[in-house]
Amino acid sequence: MLNPNLDNFLQLLVNGIFNGTAYALIGVGFNIILSVSGRFHIAYAMTYTLAAYVAAWVGFSYHFPFWLALLAGALAAAIAGVIMERLIYLPLSLRALSAGSDPLLVMFVASLGLTVILRNGIALSTLSSSSVNIVGFDNQGKNIGPVTITTLNVTMFVTAWVLLGLLALVLNYTNLGRMVRAVRANWEMSLCVGIDPSLVFVAVFAIGSFLSGVAGVFQATLTSATPDLGLPPFFYALVVAFVAGLTAGPLRIALVGVALGILEALSTMVLPTQFTPLVVFAILFFYVALRPVNLRDLRRKLAAKPHASAG
Amino acid sequence: MENLQLTLSYLDQVLIFICFAVSLNLLQGYAGQVSVAHAAFGAVGGYALAYLVLNAHVGALEAMLAGTLGAALVGAAVAFPALRLTTEWLILLTLAVQTIIVSLVTTVSALGGTYGLQNISGLTIFGHELDQPSDMFPLFLVLTVLVYAVCWRIGESPYGRVLRGIREDEIACRSLGKNVFLFKTVVFGVTAGMAGLAGAMQVINISVASPPLFAFDQSSTMVAMVVVGGAGNLLGSIVGVAVLVLLGPLFEHVLNFGADAAALWRLIAFGVVLIVVLLVRPAGLLPDRVTRNLGKKLQKMATEPADGSDFVPHPDLEEMHVIEEHLGAAGKIEVRSAGGGRGDVVLKVSGLSKRFGGIVATESLDMELRRGTITALVGPNGAGKTTVFNLLTGAIRPDAGEVYLGGVDIVGLTPDKVAKRGMARSFQAVRIFPRLSVLENVALGVQHQPGELLVNLFGNIPRTTKFEREVRERSREWLTFVGMAGFADQPAGGLAFGQQKLVALARVLATEAEVLLLDEPASGIDFQWVNVMLGLIEQIREQGRTVCIVEHNLHVVERLADHTYFMELGRITAQGSFAELTTDKRLAEAYFGAA
Repeated sequence: MLNPNLDNFLQLLVNGIFNGTAYALIGVGFNIILSVSGRFHIAYAMTYTLAAYVAAWVGFSYHFPFWLALLAGALAAAIAGVIMERLIYLPLSLRALSAGSDPLLVMFVASLGLTVILRNGIALSTLSSSSVNIVGFDNQGKNIGPVTITTLNVTMFVTAWVLLGLLALVLNYTNLGRMVRAVRANWEMSLCVGIDPSLVFVAVFAIGSFLSGVAGVFQATLTSATPDLGLPPFFYALVVAFVAGLTAGPLRIALVGVALGILEALSTMVLPTQFTPLVVFAILFFYVALRPVNLRDLRRKLAAKPHASAG
Repeated sequence: MENLQLTLSYLDQVLIFICFAVSLNLLQGYAGQVSVAHAAFGAVGGYALAYLVLNAHVGALEAMLAGTLGAALVGAAVAFPALRLTTEWLILLTLAVQTIIVSLVTTVSALGGTYGLQNISGLTIFGHELDQPSDMFPLFLVLTVLVYAVCWRIGESPYGRVLRGIREDEIACRSLGKNVFLFKTVVFGVTAGMAGLAGAMQVINISVASPPLFAFDQSSTMVAMVVVGGAGNLLGSIVGVAVLVLLGPLFEHVLNFGADAAALWRLIAFGVVLIVVLLVRPAGLLPDRVTRNLGKKLQKMATEPADGSDFVPHPDLEEMHVIEEHLGAAGKIEVRSAGGGRGDVVLKVSGLSKRFGGIVATESLDMELRRGTITALVGPNGAGKTTVFNLLTGAIRPDAGEVYLGGVDIVGLTPDKVAKRGMARSFQAVRIFPRLSVLENVALGVQHQPGELLVNLFGNIPRTTKFEREVRERSREWLTFVGMAGFADQPAGGLAFGQQKLVALARVLATEAEVLLLDEPASGIDFQWVNVMLGLIEQIREQGRTVCIVEHNLHVVERLADHTYFMELGRITAQGSFAELTTDKRLAEAYFGAA
């Protein structure tokens, strides 16, 4: 209480870590899908949203306790993700290849189609109410020194890091993990050592969508479920997944997510809150724009003397 | 009357989206630069118009022009960081641009914040008031025709050919003397300007400039329109727009859904259409010509076992002789040389060095190429032979050393400039443009095409047309020279590897560069074709060109090389005639195999 600025800073830092943990979760989930299967999966936003609706529904209609509702939501997300992969993406990618069109773009547009269908399907089935709440979590605030934290945030934090840790273990030490990494490195070669990439794609869609579902349920518990719940988080997932790099492991991606959360929260100390998306996307813009620039080359180019053109 | 206005309002909407989609198609379908920021460029144009009309009382026409120019400038600026990006990074970059621009217009209070700028009314154009949908229709129609015409002219011209080459393979394009960065910047700017115009039309249409009009979902809808209609086919974009925009009235007025439900059902149907079209026609409703043929060809190759009957591997030797006469030996081939006779040093390399971290790729390399001779660069794998080509052509910048081409140091020049100065290369992995026809592949090699400048494309149509006819003629001649004229209109991606190598040779010959660097011209092709290829290279030498080959096949070297450099671990360790090298005891044991 001695220094209000410091207190404010600490509170923002803690908020940033919590938000960043959510970004970590969705960033890792999106990254594993994109890096392994190559699908530019915009409908990731919808598995996030779907999980929230399913959790709200089982909680309200069947009085599931929160943990069970969370699990049901995340599982629904995983199943939805797998269905999208098997029913839409896989057949499409094969057809795109044989037609000589760019598979990445075809996936992007198909995924856009899926997103639009699901978003408006949800809106249509809940036409009377604009938002749905998840019941059954008793959220309480606690003061620790100058900082306020909530039980929901702590629960989310612990769940997220347990899941991320588990994923890191699976990827590093199990057969499935080796297969995932093999397909990510080179899916054609993986065929030669007896791995069926299409099954690995199913696995990453299940894992990634599950993570998105967990994040979606927590977010909707905090606010409420709306058809557009998933789109803003999807953008964050994109930023985290790409900035961390498509070959990064889950923990490194997660740290990028936390860093983004902290940066975003702290930016409100100097900028009005409506500028927050600007900050995040300005970071993304400069990151992407400067990525191909080889700094060593640039320095040398700047230092190089103009060449004499006589021979 | 009301019905007419309603119909026209939908048509106005269709016209606006045609402007968006057709220009995006030029960027995405032709140049291969995916952008999810197209609506944001529309926002620049739309907000500029709204702001100028409301605050500066500028006329509608001037405001539209300003919006177009503003968007074009922003687009060209965005092109700069986008120049070196692959598709997924480009999507990400343009997504960032999209979000930044929309966030900016939402946060800046002078632009009305979340509600945007409203009541933009009472606009007139040439004294003609823009109030009802019927007032706008003629104006929009004219503008749409204009946008379409400009896109068509750019896309279906030598300029568009370069754009499609960039889509297929940037590195190959640069090696043929095309300034890829300039082309990309221009096409980003031009298409963003058109999006700005469409954005201004949108604002005129509904008298409001607000953030949702130009949000991410609008941008991605435009991408969908292009892909559904058929990327690389402008007509397809019109179909794509018509299908997707007219779903609205279909649900609201034909199927009589309530307004709320109609909006949702329309979007669901939109999503279903996207997926179904992609499943049934992955290249879009109207695929571009070459892609369509390539798809058929690839399917045929996949379903029919290769029995060789489709390959026609032997160029007609008799035909080759005819062409030789036709070309009049070196007579008709304008080799840009500084003069001088056979045997003069054309390319002189001295002290060329390059390290990648601790790895020495080339170390104080000296070599000379002489006019009308074939020089071979041989050596074990990893000796740095291809790196030498990369260094000579400017693909990699050397740490030290000089490269004199016709007496001028060319170190530091980009690959396109090197090619323009008369040194062109081929690639071991051919780097053909698969979704271009064989003829177009070769035509891209022809230098100094007036049609590759927008100024000529629109300002000097007769000259452009005449030269284009010459380009096609010359390309056909080069194809005949390599025996591939019969394949001129086929998609290059459907050819067998050996055929692609011949096309790549015709392409590099079409640059009429004096110095040709051929990277393993005879590798990966079967025995009979090797003979054809070697015969061609010998003829090229006869024409007085300077050739350097990297080659592993010693029979090839023995037959072709006038002078041979032997390279090991980045250094030239021996040189001389092939016979001299093979009699060197150490080399014979280490590399050539004991005789």
